[in-house]
Amino acid sequence: MKLPVSWLKDYVDFEWTAEELAEKLTFSGTEVEGIETVGGTFDGLIVGALVAAEPLPGADRLRLCQVSDGRETLSVVCGADNAVAGAKIAFAPPGSTLPNGTAIGETTLADTVSRGMLCAEDELGLSDDHSGVLILPPDAEPGTPLAKILGGPETLLDLEVTWNRPDCLSVIGMAREVAALLGRPLRRPDIALNESGPAVTDLVAGVMIEDARLCPRYTARALTGVALGPSPFWMRRRLSLSGIRAINNIVDITNYVLLECGQPLHAFDADRLSERRIVVRTARPGERMRTLDEADRALTPDTLVIADAEQPVAIAGIMGGAGSEIGSATTQVLLESACFDPASIRATASRLGLGTEASRRFERGIDLAGVEWASRRAAALMVEHAGGSLAPGVIDAFPGDTPARSIPCRYDRVRAVTGMDIGNDTIASILESLEIPVAKKTADACIVAAPSFRLDIEEEADLIEETARIHGLDKVPATAPVSRIVPGASDEPFRAVSFCRQTLVGLGLSEIMNYSFVSPALLDLFGAGDADRRVALPNPVSADQGFLRNALTPHMAETLGRNLSRQVDHAAFFEIGRVFLRAEDGSVREESRLALGLMGAVERRTLRGKAGPGSADMFLALKGIVTALTKTLHVDSIGFEPEKQPFLEPGTAMAVYAGKNRLGGLGLLNRALRSEWRMRGPVAVAEFALEPLVVRAFRMPELKPLPVYPAVIRDLAVVADESATHGQIEAALLNNAPDVLVGIELFDIFRSPDIGEGRKSLAYSMTYRSSEKTLTDEEVNACHESAKNALRQTLGVDFRE
Amino acid sequence: MSVWVKTHTLPNPHTHTLGLRAKPALFYADMNAKEISDIRSRALAEAESAKTAEALETVRIRYLGRKGLLQDVMKGLKDVDPAERAEVGREANALKKNLDTLLRQRKSALDQSGSGAPLGFDPTLPGAWREPGTPHPVSRVIEDCVSIFARLGFTVAEGPDIETRYHNFEALNTPAHHPSLDALDTFWLDTGACLRTQTSPVQIRVMESVAPPVRVVTPGRCYRRDTTDATHSANFHQIEGLYVERGPVSLADLKSLLAYFAREMMGSHTDVRFRPHFFPFTEPSVECDFTCHVCGGRGCRVCKFSGWIEIAGAGMVDPRVFRKVGYDPETVSGYAWGMGVERIAMVKYGIQDIRTLYENDARFLAQFG
Repeated sequence: MKLPVSWLKDYVDFEWTAEELAEKLTFSGTEVEGIETVGGTFDGLIVGALVAAEPLPGADRLRLCQVSDGRETLSVVCGADNAVAGAKIAFAPPGSTLPNGTAIGETTLADTVSRGMLCAEDELGLSDDHSGVLILPPDAEPGTPLAKILGGPETLLDLEVTWNRPDCLSVIGMAREVAALLGRPLRRPDIALNESGPAVTDLVAGVMIEDARLCPRYTARALTGVALGPSPFWMRRRLSLSGIRAINNIVDITNYVLLECGQPLHAFDADRLSERRIVVRTARPGERMRTLDEADRALTPDTLVIADAEQPVAIAGIMGGAGSEIGSATTQVLLESACFDPASIRATASRLGLGTEASRRFERGIDLAGVEWASRRAAALMVEHAGGSLAPGVIDAFPGDTPARSIPCRYDRVRAVTGMDIGNDTIASILESLEIPVAKKTADACIVAAPSFRLDIEEEADLIEETARIHGLDKVPATAPVSRIVPGASDEPFRAVSFCRQTLVGLGLSEIMNYSFVSPALLDLFGAGDADRRVALPNPVSADQGFLRNALTPHMAETLGRNLSRQVDHAAFFEIGRVFLRAEDGSVREESRLALGLMGAVERRTLRGKAGPGSADMFLALKGIVTALTKTLHVDSIGFEPEKQPFLEPGTAMAVYAGKNRLGGLGLLNRALRSEWRMRGPVAVAEFALEPLVVRAFRMPELKPLPVYPAVIRDLAVVADESATHGQIEAALLNNAPDVLVGIELFDIFRSPDIGEGRKSLAYSMTYRSSEKTLTDEEVNACHESAKNALRQTLGVDFRE
Repeated sequence: MSVWVKTHTLPNPHTHTLGLRAKPALFYADMNAKEISDIRSRALAEAESAKTAEALETVRIRYLGRKGLLQDVMKGLKDVDPAERAEVGREANALKKNLDTLLRQRKSALDQSGSGAPLGFDPTLPGAWREPGTPHPVSRVIEDCVSIFARLGFTVAEGPDIETRYHNFEALNTPAHHPSLDALDTFWLDTGACLRTQTSPVQIRVMESVAPPVRVVTPGRCYRRDTTDATHSANFHQIEGLYVERGPVSLADLKSLLAYFAREMMGSHTDVRFRPHFFPFTEPSVECDFTCHVCGGRGCRVCKFSGWIEIAGAGMVDPRVFRKVGYDPETVSGYAWGMGVERIAMVKYGIQDIRTLYENDARFLAQFG
């Protein structure tokens, strides 16, 4: 909200500079986001009197104006429609300079010499308005320096009013804050109603509220014989400073009072209300209405409207209808001041995409008691500035009054919660300075009546906050922090994930972090078959973030691809994050996952070679990481089993098991996916459920005694067909292993013409040891021979000596 | 391991090649000084002619080893004619001393000549052990925060990303018509649940499950329908904290906690200040500014010349929230605070654009080692 400082001074006296004021407000709860100065010093600019204004022959939209500067009359060509004879206007004579630096002199327009310029508000730096020249009060003397009329530059504070304080969305509301900070009185404008003619009840047939929950109060006043015209200059100036365009005196007054006290008002042309009747109701099926912004709007049955006897004439609390709009022909005015249900207004405004000054205030809640005050204030201003007569009395439909809430505020409690040493009397006087009346004081507490304009004050805690912010939070002392152990609290799951992260970092992988949102296109790349199980966002920010991710691997591949496109040709990444999975019954569950990804030359070798690792190296590098990680995290009985994954190269997909429990899988990204990101070399990816991986991270080590007897190591060179795998050989060896075979280590794979085409030699180092005695050569030889025999029988392999 | 095992299980090949071993110890009972002297000459000659460390070792074992010649001589000494015993003993000692000295000299000489880098050894090549990776800056900030608060006795509590309307809003005293509930601001799912807009619902879940005292920090991912720009991201991380005691807790306690955190996280010269604010779940509510760490509070572009940077929202837990979880606000009090993790990372590391954190450029990430 933009707050003109000079307007604030109408209601409270203060000597602070704008900067001091801003600081005080910021530190009492209303953040000042900016201080702005509007309008210059207007050096050389003066009041001009339009002696005559005639259309300029030969130019469509231009007028030739005769402008008196008090001494002489100058001919000025002007394009503004409102430059009419008799008006006092802002005039820049030849030789003057506009606030924006434009030098004004003599020019020739449409073959006519123009001396000087009539100024619009934007040219004077007052606002963005260029709809016409600035019209000055009629009593302004030609030749008077403009600064004397406009009052010099204006300072505006840009306020961020918190959601709980709609009362601060008004000049008087902010003046109340300033008054409380200074302990000075708040001056409300005096209202003297000059009523005459027939009573309001003779002019308005009635006000009917169908649902008091949606409209707790509706007041109507009536004016007759009003003369529409511009509102006074000072009022237009204040509206303009506050960002509201001046329309005419009646409409301007409703907006002025809204800004002044925060109560939105609406003026209807009473002659255009059928039966001069007001019905506050929800819209009927099929009803439509043209609003003031010339939009034809369909009204849903939950839209609260103001209707006359026949049809809606306004969308309650949001915008009036074009059909009952105040226009130049208006003479009879029905002035509405009402209160509407915040939730209803918010829902309608949001559905229509129509946020207005009125709806912004109604949806946060307005002062129920202030409804009638605002009506009187506006009526008085209308009589003063639009003539006409105000019908005596007011129709005040007020079915929903609520009694004032009585709240005790315990002094000790204030001190205990704030940690500040605030005296009893100070507490009471701070509350009273905020116009929260203290009804009663006891030795321990004061009992206050919550004012109707403070909907946020419901209980003691709210009063403590009021006291604290006015007293000043800078007075809260900072003591030394004291620590006390909370017994039984454990954060082992968090630390286990943290340990997993550190382990991966130590293994050479860098952590990435992707959005939880994913595009359907990326999901499709990894398998379109799951489309019905995906979790779509009903209201995504953009279509390419339309789904919640159901796996981490797609983003991992995309991240590697993005890096590759940025000339990062190798990377080892991991991501820890949650995925979202839809169950059969439609419910959505989330699961923490770990993804790994390797691209390019990321193996241990430092001298990587230009070609980068081949498929097997890449796969084994990732498998090595998985093995190391599971070992560090104490995941027992790890096993790898072939499986099929649509996004992995066939034959490279392996599931990883802990016992019978599938933890996840790994493999090489298939060719089609790699081509998506122009990846030439192999890319290895893995994904695991995180929880079973880290659950034993902090397992206590179980120590075994060191071996007592020496081991005997015998090498074994197995010659087998290329199709035979290490896994088969190892399994066959283990299957027949005597107790004393305590280790099998593959240390070389060897191919040569000697061995034969399509064959390979796998060299194993076999460790034999007994826990009971030193093995003799004969015993070891027997074991070794039996191992060889077993291999020969099960796999048909040969041995190299 | 295997090397160790091998040396202790295999028979020493040299024991079989030593012809002299055939002579029993008794044989030396009739030896004389001359014989010893001859052995010495032979031993020294062998030592002199040994060309490798292994050959030297063979000589040493043959003569000076535990089962070597000299040992046999020493054992036989007691049977030698007492008249000659002293002479033989001297000769034996001389043998030991001279051979020992020579072996050391020869060993040293051989070590000298055979040591040194082989041809082509290039110590300027890059090291061959793999370099470690880096944690993501968001993780790093979360872990830093958690460890600072852990020193004050706070443990980590976590909750789901998908939350109920009750936990994310109602239990936190958010009015039903508060704009944050809008589909414009919150991601609602077709199940009626929402993606949490803050980590505060974890506080509710903790209080629902345990009685006071409570002392937790709750890091986690949150979601808001913000259009992504340099400072906004539709998903981001928060770390919140909650402290509840049976007894009085004050704003002063909160301030001292945040002051401690500020100094630990941003440096010892960091100060904090409170500004009143509004949050539905705390009362009084404050925003907490830290001294700008770039200019030290003098004012700079980063802090928009105010000297302060807004870091945390905080306040005393609203009694309405306590009632929702079944705590009695008359006997229980506490405070809560929350901070944006990306915001801290950006402020602390000078990151200009929040999107950088989610682009995962390896060259960016590598700087957080």
